[in-house]
Amino acid sequence: RLTARNILIKHHAPIIMGRFPLDHFGECKSFKEKFMKCLCDNKFENALCRNEPKDYLECRMDRQLTEQEPLEKLRLEDLIDGKPKAKTKF
Amino acid sequence: MGGLWRPVLRTLRTAAVCGWRWSHPGSPTWVAERVQPYLRVGRNGTGSDETGLRWIGTWRRPNPARDLALRPPRRPKSTNPFTRAQEEDWRRRNKTVLTYVAAAAVGMLGASYAAVPLYRLYCQTTGLGGSAVAGHVSDQIENMVPVKDRIIKVTFNADVHASLQWNFRPQQTEIYVVPGETALAFYKAKNPTDKPVIGISTYNVVPFEAGQYFNKIQCFCFEEQRLNPQEEVDMPVFFYIDPEFAEDPRMVNVDLITLSYTFFEAKEGQKLPLPGYN
Repeated sequence: RLTARNILIKHHAPIIMGRFPLDHFGECKSFKEKFMKCLCDNKFENALCRNEPKDYLECRMDRQLTEQEPLEKLRLEDLIDGKPKAKTKF
Repeated sequence: MGGLWRPVLRTLRTAAVCGWRWSHPGSPTWVAERVQPYLRVGRNGTGSDETGLRWIGTWRRPNPARDLALRPPRRPKSTNPFTRAQEEDWRRRNKTVLTYVAAAAVGMLGASYAAVPLYRLYCQTTGLGGSAVAGHVSDQIENMVPVKDRIIKVTFNADVHASLQWNFRPQQTEIYVVPGETALAFYKAKNPTDKPVIGISTYNVVPFEAGQYFNKIQCFCFEEQRLNPQEEVDMPVFFYIDPEFAEDPRMVNVDLITLSYTFFEAKEGQKLPLPGYN
């Protein structure tokens, strides 16, 4: 029988911060809506919508839905001053 | 101690050269073998390790001392109590050795079967599930440099198992990311029934080899999620593609990665092991 228990997860990198508790009360829903709108407007390019994930995660951390981690660790530090610092690598 | 092995080794050597034809009941020399203890040494006194066929015709009474001195090569059955005891001793030793060897072989076979679940247990407890990174957000994310010239399209797929009556779908069809850049994506699930339903999800990444580079920082998988009647909830996935993806020659032609989630109906208290995280 195909059940979740029977599926072996192989070849998957570890999940670094564990599971997202669900936002059952929709406390951060507005940030999510902003993010989705940004994606839609920018043809789903992630590089152009880096502010909204930062806001969403901050919202979650404030409501104890995600462990508090400095945003630098999550590679969102380049957004703190609004300018991406990432370099091209050859 | 070594002296006890000599007749055995001699026997084996003879058997290897001549074959066993002189030992089994059907062979012509079997009768001669059986009467050998009753034969005496030849006139010249030699021949203690010969097959003794030339001794047929001379009979004598069994003499334990002489038999010991003779040291006959091999007798399947001996009526002389001393040699019989010795033979029994050899047989017992042989049997012991064989038993130990057989036990070792069976033990090795069992160990090779047991190694698979034991290794999995070890990986789960030490967190080294196939990758050197274990535990919390590490420096590797902090220091990774996005590879801006390699754009990858990540598409999202959502499935439910037939027995689960949720409406589960991704909220974006695709997202364009580069390796080394963290990204956020959303799924949405709604429970249209009038009973609370518990689901548990697993995920899959296609192409299969790209899965090792698809790192999740957080997701909603492998844990039961309870949805109340008519409840709708956003399910986020926070991920990034490892910058080493751009350096893997096997991934040169990979421009599309598909993340596929499947929800199953779960029983209360069900929990799946999270890869690399406890």
